[in-house]
Amino acid sequence: MSKPADLVQGTLDLLLLKIVALEPLHAWAISQRMKQVSGDVLQVSDGSLYPALHKLEQEGWIKAEWKVTENGRRAKFYSLTRPGRRALDRETANWERLAGAISQVVRLVEV
Amino acid sequence: MPDWRWLRQLTLRLRTLFQRDRVDRELEEEFQFHIEQRVELEMGKGFSPEEARSVALRAMDRIEQRKEECRDMRRVNYIDDLWRDLRYTARNLRRSPGFATLAVLIMALGIGANTAIFSVVNGVLLRPLSYLNPDRIVTLTNPSTIAEATTELAVKLVSIPNFQDWHDQSSSFEAMAYYRQGEEAVTVGSTAEYAQATRVSPEFFRVFAVEPILGHLFTAEEVKPGGGGALVISYAYWQSHFRGGPRVLGQTIGGLGRPLPIVGVLPPGFRFPDKTDLWYPVNTVLREPTANSRGGQNYFAVGRLKPSVSLERAQSEMTLIARRLEQEYPESNKGLTVAVTRLRDEMVGDVRLTLYLLLGAVGVVLLIACTNTATLLLGKATARTREVAIRAALGASRKRVVRQLVTESLLLALFAGASGLLLASWGSMALVALAPPDLPRLSEISVDRWVLAFTLGISVITSLLFGLVPALYAARVDLSEALKQGGRRMVSGVGMVRTRGVLVVAETALAVVLLSAAGLLLKSFEALQSVDLGFRPEKVLTMKATVPAPIPAARQFFEDVLPQIRALPGVLAVGATMALPGRFESMATGPYFFDHLPPQREWPAAPSAIISVVAPGTFRALGIPLKSGRDFTDGDDADKPLVAVVNEALVRKSLPGENPIGRTVFCLFDSAQPMTIIGVAGDVRERGPAREPMPECYIPYRQHEFNGPALSVVVRTAGDPIGLEDTLRRVANKTSPTVPMKFTTMKALLSEDVATPRFRTLLFGVFAGLAVCLAMAGVYGVMAYTVAQRSNEFGVRIALGASTGSVVRLVLGQGLALACIGLGVGLAASIAGTRLLKSMLFEVQPNDPLVYVAVAVLLGAVVLVAGYVPANRAAKIDPLTALRQE
Repeated sequence: MSKPADLVQGTLDLLLLKIVALEPLHAWAISQRMKQVSGDVLQVSDGSLYPALHKLEQEGWIKAEWKVTENGRRAKFYSLTRPGRRALDRETANWERLAGAISQVVRLVEV
Repeated sequence: MPDWRWLRQLTLRLRTLFQRDRVDRELEEEFQFHIEQRVELEMGKGFSPEEARSVALRAMDRIEQRKEECRDMRRVNYIDDLWRDLRYTARNLRRSPGFATLAVLIMALGIGANTAIFSVVNGVLLRPLSYLNPDRIVTLTNPSTIAEATTELAVKLVSIPNFQDWHDQSSSFEAMAYYRQGEEAVTVGSTAEYAQATRVSPEFFRVFAVEPILGHLFTAEEVKPGGGGALVISYAYWQSHFRGGPRVLGQTIGGLGRPLPIVGVLPPGFRFPDKTDLWYPVNTVLREPTANSRGGQNYFAVGRLKPSVSLERAQSEMTLIARRLEQEYPESNKGLTVAVTRLRDEMVGDVRLTLYLLLGAVGVVLLIACTNTATLLLGKATARTREVAIRAALGASRKRVVRQLVTESLLLALFAGASGLLLASWGSMALVALAPPDLPRLSEISVDRWVLAFTLGISVITSLLFGLVPALYAARVDLSEALKQGGRRMVSGVGMVRTRGVLVVAETALAVVLLSAAGLLLKSFEALQSVDLGFRPEKVLTMKATVPAPIPAARQFFEDVLPQIRALPGVLAVGATMALPGRFESMATGPYFFDHLPPQREWPAAPSAIISVVAPGTFRALGIPLKSGRDFTDGDDADKPLVAVVNEALVRKSLPGENPIGRTVFCLFDSAQPMTIIGVAGDVRERGPAREPMPECYIPYRQHEFNGPALSVVVRTAGDPIGLEDTLRRVANKTSPTVPMKFTTMKALLSEDVATPRFRTLLFGVFAGLAVCLAMAGVYGVMAYTVAQRSNEFGVRIALGASTGSVVRLVLGQGLALACIGLGVGLAASIAGTRLLKSMLFEVQPNDPLVYVAVAVLLGAVVLVAGYVPANRAAKIDPLTALRQE
């Protein structure tokens, strides 16, 4: 499976969990939201979104329901489950630790 | 709060498995939705619908692969594929039922035979004994480093004083006991019969940690010397003699010295030593003069190790004790050591090699069956080249194709395993029926979960063995070649023929190994059967009778009965003996001396002889020739001078070249009285046909107190010996109605002696036969295939004037060439492998040339027969038809 180039391994899961945690969304909306909030920095190809979402669903972290959108189309809406919430908290803590550590290293002054 | 995640996961997996279509539709719809949204977005930017659509698709980046990735995420694909492969395979097999049946049948034979033998190996060798902590139960034996062991049994026995010292001086054991089993005449109510009774020392049941299911074990009062005595009975005896009723306790059984009350019933699984019905304390009935003699080695010893004590530590402690006893009592204990062995190892010691060899032999049969099936599959793989090619062209990876083909062989193997299991449950019953009666733990042989696991295991392994080569072969197909050849004869002929040739050589070689082994065993068995036993067993009826009475009364019984039997019509001669020929375990042995008795310390190193207590007429009844002197007569009575008859082996060993008649001999049995030799008898192989006769000293039953109340009457008859059974029973019953009797013929007894070699030979013979049949089928298969492949060539040859004979020779020559290579490889392997059989061969060397020549001739004949049909077919090819087929 090809990985989105600019994303650190494993962070796609975190982003998806977070986005879905805010409100139930279908995959198309998730991809749009990702672009929006990251100001187009995080580029995820449309195609690679789906395997990631299906994996999260199989893990039991998000669940999928078919609902009707505002303009009357049927779409598959993803929402966070309780174990998904715990996974998100865990992943977030991990990410913050990692990001903190990396920024510490990056900020070291060269002599 | 519980985490229901696994439940959600399970639901999703199940949904994927069982609602595949729906899941797929949803996936499709989800992607469709995405594309539409994107198209809408792009059109909003001013693209034409076509342009928008192509942008949308491009953004998905290989949409079909993405879908496949999503399916992969569901992680049930392999199950899915397996399911599809299985259905495909089932369809395939249904289309060629002949092939499927043949393959399943061949493998079922192989797997079934293996499972059956394994069930025996499992029950006898592998399964732990059914006692508490069986690994801590050990046997203690008493091998001597100086005296020549007369049998395997002799070294296992210990004397009571030695045992007592072991018991008192050691600290490695939780409990230690001695015991001896015997077939005793008992009276239950008013009936007299034989029972397997074992007298045991006080700690016997503690060694096995067995508890009664009814009543109690022996109390201290019951086991102390001169105490009241008691009986504990087996569950089986309780059921058969007391219908499992609770009122069994307190009932008495007579015959074991004095009437003993039943105080306990043991649980169903406990029968130690094998087949025991009754246990009684040794102290209460001990009337043997050997009780205080260190030289009287008459008992088996067992012990239970303390939990913290290793076998090695117990052994070194016992070695120390043995050394101490050796110094303290040199006249009896010189050279005696102690060997501590785990009970299970001791029990199965002798049969281990036989069983493992059988397992090896049957494993070879399985290998041959695999080779055969591989040949079959290979043939099928050829025919399926096109099918495989099409699958490959449609995108199936090589791995996928191999997997499908292996699934096919796996399915075949599982069917074969299931049918093999049926064969095995039947076969293992047959094995139990055929097995020598002294095979330990015979009753424990059954098809249990380990046997099932074994069957499943070998089914899977064999499916790989016979399936992988053809599968890899098939998957190596050159696509364009295969499709071009258009379904007919699309084989790369050379490689195929070579592969099959190698398989045929392999199975021929394996069959040769089995044939050689079977041939050697058969020749050895023949030798064993035709060996001169020293007596004539034909037309001899034996009647064992035990008189439940004091010894003088018992003697009276035989004195009354023998003349009556002698007077019966159809009786040529009658005698009686304490132990029948070949029943060495019930014979007495002891040292012998001429002229004067040396001091006791010289006894252990003296040569020993079998001491046979016999009635007059026994030599004639058994057909043992008297070489010189006379037989005993009724006049050799207790108040007459003591006399003895010795055998030639004794004379050869101790009085070479001298006339023994009239010499004085001491045979240490019940007393050390001097006896005069009155005759010399021919040698009898008392220890079974495979062992040389040893010195033997016959003494008359009227002159010896301690021959017990039991004798076996031997009757030589003019006609069928078994016909006389009822008459004899009537005579004996008329004399005394309470004497139990047991009839058999000498022939039947002897066949028991060779039961183990017969079992081995029979099984090896069956396996070798199976192997040859399979190899024959293999040779036939490869030659029939070659003939079909080369039918044009033969057509051309015949068209150009080749004679029928030359074509037949050509085809047969090819078969014979393969067989010769197989024979060569097989013979080399046999010569290396049959050395394992050495200890089982009697008067035959493992490299016996005659056997190998016979194997070669037989195999050659088999190959010719197998090759004749295809060769003949080749010769009858019509050149026109063959050429037109092109």
